[in-house]
Amino acid sequence: MSDLASLQQQFMAMLQGQDNHLASHIVSDGQLSLSQRLAIYQNAYKLRLRAAIEQDHAQLGIYLGDQLFDKMVTEYLVKYPSNYTSLRFFADELPHYLRNNAPFNAHPILADISYFERCLLIAFDAQEQPLLSIDELEKFTTEQWPTLQLVLHPSVQLMHFNSRAVESWQALKDKQTPPEPYCETTRYWVVARDPERRTQFVNVALPEYRILTLLKQQVNFAQLCQSCINDMPSEKIAGFLISLINQWLERGWLVTTTK
Amino acid sequence: MQTQFLGFGLGLRASHFEQIITDKPAVDWFEIISENYFVAGGKPWYYLNKIRADYPVVMHGVSMSIGSTGALNFDYLQALKSTIARVEPQWVSDHLCFSQVGDFNSHDLLPMPYTNEALEHLASRIHHVQEFLGREMIFENVSSYLTYKDSQMSEWDFLAALHNKTGCRFLMDVNNVYVSARNHQFDAMTFLNAIPTEAIAQIHLAGHQDFGSHIIDTHDEDVSSAVWDLFENYAKQLDPVSTMIERDDNLGSLQDLMAELEHARQLVAPIWQLGVNSE
Repeated sequence: MSDLASLQQQFMAMLQGQDNHLASHIVSDGQLSLSQRLAIYQNAYKLRLRAAIEQDHAQLGIYLGDQLFDKMVTEYLVKYPSNYTSLRFFADELPHYLRNNAPFNAHPILADISYFERCLLIAFDAQEQPLLSIDELEKFTTEQWPTLQLVLHPSVQLMHFNSRAVESWQALKDKQTPPEPYCETTRYWVVARDPERRTQFVNVALPEYRILTLLKQQVNFAQLCQSCINDMPSEKIAGFLISLINQWLERGWLVTTTK
Repeated sequence: MQTQFLGFGLGLRASHFEQIITDKPAVDWFEIISENYFVAGGKPWYYLNKIRADYPVVMHGVSMSIGSTGALNFDYLQALKSTIARVEPQWVSDHLCFSQVGDFNSHDLLPMPYTNEALEHLASRIHHVQEFLGREMIFENVSSYLTYKDSQMSEWDFLAALHNKTGCRFLMDVNNVYVSARNHQFDAMTFLNAIPTEAIAQIHLAGHQDFGSHIIDTHDEDVSSAVWDLFENYAKQLDPVSTMIERDDNLGSLQDLMAELEHARQLVAPIWQLGVNSE
């Protein structure tokens, strides 16, 4: 290994607190001690990544409080050192970390809040695509409808929680006390950008959530109708789906498709 | 590569997007952080596309890790190349440092040792990166808090040698020079005078925090009077160079930043014989 490669590896090891061989390569000039000079870099490393998590997960931070947030950041840095070139993605594994590591895994709402906050980020910078209009939809002939595949906007994120994660997130954002963390029935949510590019989240019922999930799987309109067969009389299925489609068009959840 | 004098610019920050579109402030140009646009779309691209219709834009990266001894990250370079094609910037810069080794990214701008080995290494990497991107890059001097025993030359001799070897040009961060000069007790003008003036493509001005025994380059304060003095003295050596205020934290209002920018313009307008609007 070259001197330069060795030096750089020692620098990275120092930042991660693995060893301190780098100190032997540093000039000591009396103005600051060697340990102070190295500490400037160690602190900057931790503070920068802490700030990235804090920015992306502001309400989770408030929910946890300073002490637990610091513990989470410290352990996350060790378990998931960044291999991303952009800090935007550094905390992508945070929901997984919170779901699988004590003491956080005893409180599933924490992973749920962090997952919701990641979905907000995804919706924020998802790809632009032209939105589907009613006029375009009306151009499809009766014969084309069974094989028509509606396509969700890339910003549309689906999630369901057995906790009041979203309600708690909203309460904290409004500087209110969060509600009881858990509920008896599953909550179904959609996060997406609206036509004005504002990120929105909407509570939906299970039948709508199921249909949206099928759209993510790129099924056609006939298959959507088939999926409803056990939930309602067959003559009501088309009307139910058309009603949903109209809502989604208004919300900017569908994009133009040639399929 | 020639870099046009664009005048006086600001770092483009998300909290100012809306106001820039609405008010169209009298800023000559904007610098974007390249990696902030390595996303598919949404608000970042929506606002950038509107802003770049009215203002020249340059790109400034923080993650190229040009000095790393690890393999070149071609996924990163491809993302950069694609972003350059979408933004069509006046020029593209990054830092003379290393950030990533192997899979580990420090997200910091770590200083190189000033050795012949590092010089050869950087020259080779710059060549390969520029070849891949199909354009020349500009590189910024970083601030530092330590000096390596292995260094065989000063930072300024290192930069001058790199310029002679590769022809690469520099984004001279005057605040970084001041920070390093204080932290390592050298004369900042000695540094600046050693770099060929034709190698200077852009200037950064920024704030720092002074802890007495050392200074940290924080970009969260106004530009200090010492850095203004250094900039004014340095400008006397230069033809007009595109100059900007780089502020990342504790962001004030756009008006506050524009007032600082106007101070920069007023300081050097007589030196560079600029008109009121620097055009």
